[in-house]
Amino acid sequence: MKGGRIRNNIRRLRFDRSEMTQQALAEKVGVTRQTVIAIEGDKYSPSLEVAFRIARVFGVPLEEVFQYEVTESVA
Amino acid sequence: MEMSYQEKSITGSLIAMLVVYGYYFAAVLRNIGQAEFAGSALGRLVVAVVAIVVIEIVYHIVLSVAAKPEKDERDTIIELKAYRNAYFAYGAGAFFVMAWVVAAGLLQGAASTHMIIRPFLLVNLVLLFLVLAEVVKFVTQLLYYTRGLR
Repeated sequence: MKGGRIRNNIRRLRFDRSEMTQQALAEKVGVTRQTVIAIEGDKYSPSLEVAFRIARVFGVPLEEVFQYEVTESVA
Repeated sequence: MEMSYQEKSITGSLIAMLVVYGYYFAAVLRNIGQAEFAGSALGRLVVAVVAIVVIEIVYHIVLSVAAKPEKDERDTIIELKAYRNAYFAYGAGAFFVMAWVVAAGLLQGAASTHMIIRPFLLVNLVLLFLVLAEVVKFVTQLLYYTRGLR
């Protein structure tokens, strides 16, 4: 089985949307600004529901916001 | 990074708990030879509990004025993980108290033992592990907020 981690493009997507602030994104998604910061910094993987809400705010498919990267082999 | 409402709430509660119960258990240590849990010992506990409640209420009122109380799924997950650690801490404490009482019972009468099962000591041991479990919960939460949930 392979191990991996979830990466995201939220920072770039915010920048592309007229530099949307983390606070504005947090309010649209319904989470705290600290949670948006944690997600952007790869310190927290959100639930599927929040992930879909983020993708909906940007108007893009989920895969454009989040990617699963295989990093290492796990015995 | 600026702390969230939850982090500020937890930090304040942790400091209040350490200060109030630190003061309380320092008084307990000074009176460790006491047998019954009554009188001034009971009074000190009531004062400590009332102090914690008042500090928590005042602190959270001030905090709510300064920042909007918010809680999302990340806060909930962190809280659940913290409760798990606190459960283990309190479970370990419960086993310690049970072992203490059983050992004291088994060794009763042995001249070399000084083990005691006085109400004053047992009540404070249980309270100590309750406080420690709460501290473990707060510290776990702050660690997860700082290090992330990965």
